[in-house]
Amino acid sequence: MNANVGVFAVSCTREQLTGAKTLQRERQLNQFLAEVERRALRIAEIAVRDRDEALDLVQDAMIKLARNYAERPVEEWAPLFYRILQNAVRDWHRRQKVKNRVMVWFGRGKPTDDEYDIVANTPDPAGRAPDDVLQTHEAMQRLEVSIHELPGRQREAFMLRTFEGLDVAGTAVAMGCSEGSVKTHYSRAVHALRDKLGEHWQ
Amino acid sequence: MNDPGKNEPIANQAKELFDDSVERLDAATLSRLNQGRHKALAELSHSGPSVTWLRWAPAAGVAAAAVVAVVVMRGPQVDELEPVTASDFEMLLEEDGFEMFEDLEFYAVLDAVAAEVNGDVG
Repeated sequence: MNANVGVFAVSCTREQLTGAKTLQRERQLNQFLAEVERRALRIAEIAVRDRDEALDLVQDAMIKLARNYAERPVEEWAPLFYRILQNAVRDWHRRQKVKNRVMVWFGRGKPTDDEYDIVANTPDPAGRAPDDVLQTHEAMQRLEVSIHELPGRQREAFMLRTFEGLDVAGTAVAMGCSEGSVKTHYSRAVHALRDKLGEHWQ
Repeated sequence: MNDPGKNEPIANQAKELFDDSVERLDAATLSRLNQGRHKALAELSHSGPSVTWLRWAPAAGVAAAAVVAVVVMRGPQVDELEPVTASDFEMLLEEDGFEMFEDLEFYAVLDAVAAEVNGDVG
């Protein structure tokens, strides 16, 4: 009888520990995703030039991270998350190419980047003067177009390093390449952007 | 670690503009992000070995049914190789199947990067 009570007590304690661990992991994951989601959205949006598509990609990446990698150490989540997101963005571009070929076949050309206007989607909550806001919008738009025109790997390296602030090792994990490649892609991206934006920027 | 290009003026300026655009995300977008995050967290509470196994259950069921059908139709004396069934292809082409291969590749990269960081390579 006493032995049964003992076993029951141990079983309950284990369940409580497992429950507490799950709860803690859930809190950590929530905190991580809340911290990263907005930057991730903008990074995806710059890559695909469509907010709705970017929202879907980010949501899928969050779900895949939770489903497959929640048990991994917390410090691995950022490169893992961006690895998933970058793969999704690459898949999206592949699908778009096929879709565009089909559209051309049926006589409907693909929409140009010029049709995408980020200004229309972004009211200014800080209440700045319209001229300032417009100037910042225009600078961001030029930057977005220039980044979008970079080769895919350069774009990834620049955004992960500059916007997300991943270090070289983390970016290498997220991009699935060596640290040397990250440095090369990043350096080329910076030079290309300087050439493209030189007349507008310092 | 040497971090070339990190303090490039153009990178700093780009980062400022980017952060500004992140701050200006509208309420509807933030709400959708919030919903997406909660969907992901719900996935966490439903995850685990049993659920992972259950995700393969429909494909496994179809495969098992196909095997039973072949055995019943051909009888016990099967001397030649079994034909590849449609369900085999279905399983191979399943999105999660590709993810599995991606994961293997990912851990190979992770190991390579860790080795590089620790100075084991080159």
